[in-house]
Amino acid sequence: MRYYETLYIINPDLADDAYQEVVAKMNALVQKEKGVVTRVEEWGKRTLAYEVKKFEKGSYVLLQYCGESGIVEELKREMTLDDRVIKYQTIKLSDHADPEALKAAGEEERKEPGEEGKITEDERRAADEGEDGIQ
Amino acid sequence: MAYNREGSDDRDRGNKNKFRRTYHRRKVCKFCADSSLVIDYKDIRNIRYFTTERGKITPCRISGNCAKHQRMLALAIKRARNIALLPYTTSIVN
Repeated sequence: MRYYETLYIINPDLADDAYQEVVAKMNALVQKEKGVVTRVEEWGKRTLAYEVKKFEKGSYVLLQYCGESGIVEELKREMTLDDRVIKYQTIKLSDHADPEALKAAGEEERKEPGEEGKITEDERRAADEGEDGIQ
Repeated sequence: MAYNREGSDDRDRGNKNKFRRTYHRRKVCKFCADSSLVIDYKDIRNIRYFTTERGKITPCRISGNCAKHQRMLALAIKRARNIALLPYTTSIVN
């Protein structure tokens, strides 16, 4: 199985449930195409480096999954058709990956840092926003 | 002839010495020095260090990166640009 990562930006003006619906839809799509979702990371609203479809901000979602190449095509099709998704980018992380091992590794990673991990993520966000403010 | 050549050689050497005074420190690739650093397009804080104020990629002549890591870094910057994490260029604010 191949290991992919898709980072997509959702319209920031959407209501909370509409936003959740998009995320759930993409996750379901991966499963429908016989893929395994190993990680979903919601970065929240961030300032975009440049305007995309007249939007200054966007909600970033990181989706990591294992599966065959057909999934990428399917996700691409769905994201271009869905106008709630502003932009997306898929990257192949590796050619051969074991989804179960990746899932376990991801969970362990999340458990181990615990509070610390949370802080660093918040810090990162704060720093990023600060830098964007300067520009 | 021989005299002439010697003379000109001397002068050349003199000139070279004059111009070769510029002192440069040997730069070390940051990623080779610290193997724990990973180049990731999502980690903008680290990647932004290798861009200029206008969002250009710093050449390895300036950053001191080795060719291998410079390639990886350039790819990461381009990926980050594509997904609007980094700017392609910045407009003049003033």
